[in-house]
Amino acid sequence: MENNQANNSLEVIKVENLSKHFGPIKAVDQISFSVKKGEIFGFLGPNGAGKTTTISILCTLLKPTSGKVTIDGYDLVKQPHLVRKSIGLVFQETILDNHLTAEENLYFHAMLYGLSRREFLERKREVLKLCELWEKRKWKINNFSGGMKRRLEIARALLHFPKILFLDEPTIGLDPQTRNKIWDYIFAIRKRENMTIFLTTQYINEAEICDRIAIIDHGKIVALDSPNNLKKMIGGDLIIFRTENNDLAEEELKKAFPQLLLKRIGKELKIEISNGDEFLPKLIKVVTPRITSMELRRPTLEDVFLEITGRRIRENEGEEHRKFDLESLIALLNPFEPLLPKEEKNNHQNNQK
Amino acid sequence: MKTQNPLFPLYIIWYREIILYFRNILKFFTSIFAPILILVFFGSGLKTIFPADILNYDFVQFFFPGILGLSCIIMVLSSTISIVWDKEFGFLKEMLVAPVKRSHIAFGKVLGATTTALIEGFLILLVAPYLGINLSLKIFLEAIGLIFLLCYGVACFGLYLASRLSRVESFSILTQLVIAPMVFLSGAFYSLKNVPLWMIKIAHYNPLAYGIDALRWSILSLTVSYETLSNLTLFSFQQALLFLIIFDALISFLTLRVFKRYLR
Repeated sequence: MENNQANNSLEVIKVENLSKHFGPIKAVDQISFSVKKGEIFGFLGPNGAGKTTTISILCTLLKPTSGKVTIDGYDLVKQPHLVRKSIGLVFQETILDNHLTAEENLYFHAMLYGLSRREFLERKREVLKLCELWEKRKWKINNFSGGMKRRLEIARALLHFPKILFLDEPTIGLDPQTRNKIWDYIFAIRKRENMTIFLTTQYINEAEICDRIAIIDHGKIVALDSPNNLKKMIGGDLIIFRTENNDLAEEELKKAFPQLLLKRIGKELKIEISNGDEFLPKLIKVVTPRITSMELRRPTLEDVFLEITGRRIRENEGEEHRKFDLESLIALLNPFEPLLPKEEKNNHQNNQK
Repeated sequence: MKTQNPLFPLYIIWYREIILYFRNILKFFTSIFAPILILVFFGSGLKTIFPADILNYDFVQFFFPGILGLSCIIMVLSSTISIVWDKEFGFLKEMLVAPVKRSHIAFGKVLGATTTALIEGFLILLVAPYLGINLSLKIFLEAIGLIFLLCYGVACFGLYLASRLSRVESFSILTQLVIAPMVFLSGAFYSLKNVPLWMIKIAHYNPLAYGIDALRWSILSLTVSYETLSNLTLFSFQQALLFLIIFDALISFLTLRVFKRYLR
């Protein structure tokens, strides 16, 4: 027990071999990481990588299939009630009551978390001023813009003095200016409240702001470090170019510079090299097919992602639409059927096959 | 952080349902006026098909307890089943991540829905004297009590169904295949006494039929004679009352069990 508490001061979130399976799909597959106190920790990955599943598990909305998670010293599965008390959460989608005013939304939250009236009144003023919504506190949510709703949600998540703030894609669907504004608030919060912030994002530039990031793909953490260290994985500069005949160009380059780190990604050729500006003229001399485009730049996290997974972060978007199934209806009407969660049912079917 | 009265979350969830009922002016007025419109126009129209000398009671008076019960039932069902959407896209998530007992969420929701139905029932009951129904204070209170028993059970039932829906899309099928037959077999539109035997058999498993018969016994007790009432109702008042109480207890237990699993 003592050992546990000693760790708490450093690691507020500790995840060991966490897995979540939906039937045959491994949404989260054996991930382990820990988040230190006062840190901004980011989860970067494409749609469907398992970001939201992970955050839902950490917020006690989903039960893990296996693994151990400790949040603020409490075991996630055994003490969900205590975990819920020490976290604040902003969901990916807007979850506010449209018929209530901003103030009433906060009041509802305060009552759910058991704040006393005095605490609530003081804290309400603080969080609303922080998110610059104090003047609009009597407005109905119907009249709020997307950015204002997000700010109110952040204010609400802060209301009950949480130790850890979870933000699931906090800036999705907002315009760039509003996005920057939201980030200003997040930094202000960290500075004032010394809070640990855990967030997920699919925007590279947002991930760069974090103290440390975990890159997640297909339910696995493929890299975890500070943005700078991750970028150091790719040595120096990047040259990305296209030619009319990539096969020929690749062959010629390999002949001329055998040591060269050359990769083919889709229709592009990518070279990692320490002094890109000096190499460019040499490259142009060697390559005979006509070059259609060329770019020289410092590596970004996007390149890191590309390097590790061989794909771009926002490559294949598009959501699957669920279909109506008769099976669920029959299950509904059958009072004798045991209440199996969907995942177990699927497992069962798979076993039979 | 001090811990407050543990029932506060239950209270605030209940309170929110009430606020939302009154804030949504349109919903509030339609919930009151739709049943009154049905009573006045539909009831008066049907009355002309059965002249008073064939029936020894006024059809609108027969109609009243049924419509009263039904409109309250629809009210609670619509607000509890909506939890399906709430969970997927809405406010339920905010409650789920809060340190609130799951049973408090369930009962806050059920009691909130029941309270709004009681308000609606109260207002519709005020119309009864204008339809020629004799009310006393005792009957009035009895009717409110019966509406509570009925709506509480149905609200739990709505939550139970919602908890078993694995997909939002199944919702419309649910209303068609479960709710609609229950409503038609409730005896609100016609007496279940003289329908074919197979319908009577099904009606014995329909809690709405018991609720509406109980309401009919209570509300019409000063207006229609005992013999006529026993010809109009399938169950005696005592039977119906007993069934409702047992149903309420049973469904509370079931709902709580299913709801807890649904949320975790």
